[in-house]
Amino acid sequence: MRYEIRVDGELTETLAKAFPELDHVVVSGHTILFGRVLDEAHLYGLLARCQSLGLRVLEMRQAPQ
Amino acid sequence: MGVPDETGADPHGPADPCGDPFLRTRFAIPTLPVTYLRRDRLLGHLDLAPRTPLTVVGGAAGAGKTLLVADWAATRGRRVAWLTAQMADKGRGTFWAYLLQALRLAGVTLSAEVGLPAEAGRVDDALLTRLAAELSAREAPVTAVIDEYDRVTDPEIADQLEFVLRHADTGIRLVLVTRTEPLLPLHRYRAAGAVTEIRNDELAFTFEEAGDLLALHGMRLPPDEIGALLARTRGWAAGLRLSALAAQGERDPRSYLREFEADRTTIGDYLIAEVLRRQRAETQDLLLRISVLDRFCPALADALTGRADAELILTALHRENAFVEDLGHSWFRLHPLFREILRAHLRARHPGLETELHRRAAAWLRRHGPLGETLEHAAAAGDWAAAADALVGDLALGELLSGPRAEPLAALFSAMGPEPRTPATDLVRAARELSAGDLDRGLPHLERAARELDGTASRPAQEPHGPVPERDEPGGQPRQPAPGAGDAPAEQAAARLGCTLLRVLAARLTGSPSRAEAAARHAEELKQEVPGRLLDRHPELTALLRAHLGAARLWAGRFTEARAALTAVTDRGRATPTASAQVPAPEPASPVRTRTPAAPGRPSTAQVREECLAHLALLDHLDGRPGRAERKALAALAAGHADPRTLPGVGPATLVLAAVATDRDELDRAETLLAAPPDGDDARQPVRDPVTRALHALVTARLLLARGDIEGALEAADRTVAAEEPSPWAEAHAALVAAGAHLADGRPELAVKLLRELPGEDPLCLLGAARAELAAGCPSHALDLLDRIHPRHAPGPLIAVRTALLRAELAGIEGDREARRRLVAQALREARRDRLRSPFKEAGPWLRPLLATPALRPLAEGWLLPGAGTPYTAATVPEPPPMVEELSARERDVLVRLAEMMSTEEIAADLFVSVNTVKTHLKSAYRKLGVNRRHDAVHRARELGLL
Repeated sequence: MRYEIRVDGELTETLAKAFPELDHVVVSGHTILFGRVLDEAHLYGLLARCQSLGLRVLEMRQAPQ
Repeated sequence: MGVPDETGADPHGPADPCGDPFLRTRFAIPTLPVTYLRRDRLLGHLDLAPRTPLTVVGGAAGAGKTLLVADWAATRGRRVAWLTAQMADKGRGTFWAYLLQALRLAGVTLSAEVGLPAEAGRVDDALLTRLAAELSAREAPVTAVIDEYDRVTDPEIADQLEFVLRHADTGIRLVLVTRTEPLLPLHRYRAAGAVTEIRNDELAFTFEEAGDLLALHGMRLPPDEIGALLARTRGWAAGLRLSALAAQGERDPRSYLREFEADRTTIGDYLIAEVLRRQRAETQDLLLRISVLDRFCPALADALTGRADAELILTALHRENAFVEDLGHSWFRLHPLFREILRAHLRARHPGLETELHRRAAAWLRRHGPLGETLEHAAAAGDWAAAADALVGDLALGELLSGPRAEPLAALFSAMGPEPRTPATDLVRAARELSAGDLDRGLPHLERAARELDGTASRPAQEPHGPVPERDEPGGQPRQPAPGAGDAPAEQAAARLGCTLLRVLAARLTGSPSRAEAAARHAEELKQEVPGRLLDRHPELTALLRAHLGAARLWAGRFTEARAALTAVTDRGRATPTASAQVPAPEPASPVRTRTPAAPGRPSTAQVREECLAHLALLDHLDGRPGRAERKALAALAAGHADPRTLPGVGPATLVLAAVATDRDELDRAETLLAAPPDGDDARQPVRDPVTRALHALVTARLLLARGDIEGALEAADRTVAAEEPSPWAEAHAALVAAGAHLADGRPELAVKLLRELPGEDPLCLLGAARAELAAGCPSHALDLLDRIHPRHAPGPLIAVRTALLRAELAGIEGDREARRRLVAQALREARRDRLRSPFKEAGPWLRPLLATPALRPLAEGWLLPGAGTPYTAATVPEPPPMVEELSARERDVLVRLAEMMSTEEIAADLFVSVNTVKTHLKSAYRKLGVNRRHDAVHRARELGLL
């Protein structure tokens, strides 16, 4: 499963390292984290990680393969 | 204030189900920082809480939830039970143990009957029922706050909380502080107006509040700038607070804030980087380093920095801002949001340092802290030598074999590779392989560890790993010497004792009772060298030694000695753990906790006890007492660890049940029991314990024989169990089954020949031989053999029934019809209570017409022959087995509904509990009633007048 998670604000390189398994791209005030998600547990784990880093998730979607 | 004495042992101190003392910091109401802004609109809203059973304060990390509720709890002058639910992932039992402790600390008197959960993973519904009942009897409600409720991810805990909340009536007011929507049927509470909710939007700062907060930080801004800041942070408390902190150090705070407003970096990241940048180099370094810790005291922080300034820095940081939280007793933690972001910074700035920090934390905790945290940090550092040293030196190797910590410990050490090679790591590897039943891989590790330990026994021991800065405890407390650490001889002795435990286990698994005895004797000697406090803290070690020795003796056929070793374990565990829970906790003064010893009956030995019970059940079975065997086997299974066993495969308790079912001619049930290992995963692995394997072969052979599969039965009985020493009973029973097969196949002379070689005075062997002789046409030989059954063997029902039937057959041959009828009647009466049908089925064609006679038929109806009869009423059964334990109210509720033919799901719905909860009630009701089916449970409950 590939996913894209869009969070509010531009993630610094430092904080992006908290998601070593995902790539990221910064676009106009947002950051899109994207990459392969192993399973649901991983997905919820990523959401929890966003939450514990104080990130606001704007959008999350499964990306085409 | 009970300072633990020198041994660190406080046997009466309260402890969680794993036997660890409660972490006081979980019960501390957070202190408010000076820059905390009281917000009356929120306090006013919270004041509605006492009117509703449930209050939910939900919001994002850093929304100010916890401080709000802490302020409310402190200012409204009520006693509040406070719990930070960080332990929620350690199991239901642990969670409830902590919540009960929080209530007791808040002055709620709960009677001893409420008790404490005995297992980390589960809690008795009876406990919850009693808790709810006692709470509902209170005049004034107690307010219980559960902070970080988002850590509760087990829906069962939510179910249980809801149950208590509903049944405690107005006795408790629950306040949940959570990042995520709690797993409760909130819609129901909303519809009933029974919940007070404060959510993220309400927690957000208003314009005025933002202005006041900034003013508290000494910043006065014009309205438009406050508005812009509010827009950028969306009223997020952490965002506002961090902006104030970041701007404080600027010469021109206003232009700085404008910069921030224009920046597009994520807020937390930006601000924390800014706040960090403003600190002195030492402070920055300290903050980054302690981000690897859940909680810390100055001494532990110093251990990570290698300096001695943590106390000053931490106190100042706590005073200046809200991101270092004081947990009391000189313990602190970082605000979770701050910590997460700092950790990201640590990784970016000092790649690789994290590992070293974990290593240092482990070394410090090894001397001062609980074993669990030590192991976690050592594992996080990948320092397996240190982790294994800590485990083995603490004499905790047995916890890897059995008990509530076995699984987490095994998971922790599963990441360890083939390196490093130290005696301790080899012991850990051996323990893991042996407990999985893999002798081939386990024994080499064990041998290597043993060789090295013997080699170092006489040498002066080396210093344990790595230099650790020695410091005094904060607050001038004398340092509590941690178990084992820095105490090389004690550690060596603990390692050798652990090694000997594994040798007893290995001897048991290889079927070598003599080596097991020798190793057990060696263990007794080593125990003299190990400090008493270590032994006290690890009752599972002694229990495991006895359990493995008992199993080895059982294999050797030394039943009396086996029973002695096994009952020593089961008797010790009988004391309930509630005794230690009656008094409110004495608060130990030392800021660093050492582990209290597990009291008898603690869960660290529960699993061992169950295995011993299963082996005692096997002993009863071998004595021909199926009723007793069944009750013990069910009791062993009832505690919920599936089949208690140290090894994969169908366990001994299930096998005993299958054997009893075969005695009753309930062949389908026996087959089901034999075929279905409790956990599917383990099913494929070979069972290595010879007792269990021999039993498996025997029960299979008897089942096949009862099904008429003579070839199959002979083959199964002939299946040899690899063992270094033979087992007399296993061989005798195999011969008995084989003889039975030959008899069934019309070859009595072969049966006679087989059994003639059997040694001794064992009643079952004599009976089998007598039966064969009779079938071979030698009634006088048969009678001689029966007379040899020694009266000192008070015969179990199975033997009594078989004896009576054989004598009846002999009487028939002599033409004494009256004696034959009397003996059959005697057999029927003996057999009826345990429904022992198989002896009658095997007896031969002469019996059947006899059973149909008016004199005998009533005794056989209802269990052996079809027909109503009155088989189980108290009038005809002289002594029904007594109830071992009273049913709880809840178990009775479930039984009543069961009697009304409701399904498990319907009962669950009717009682507002989960299906699993109903199943738990059913299981414990079955155990107490000594039955294993619904139908029987209802029957038995009626019979005892319980319905």
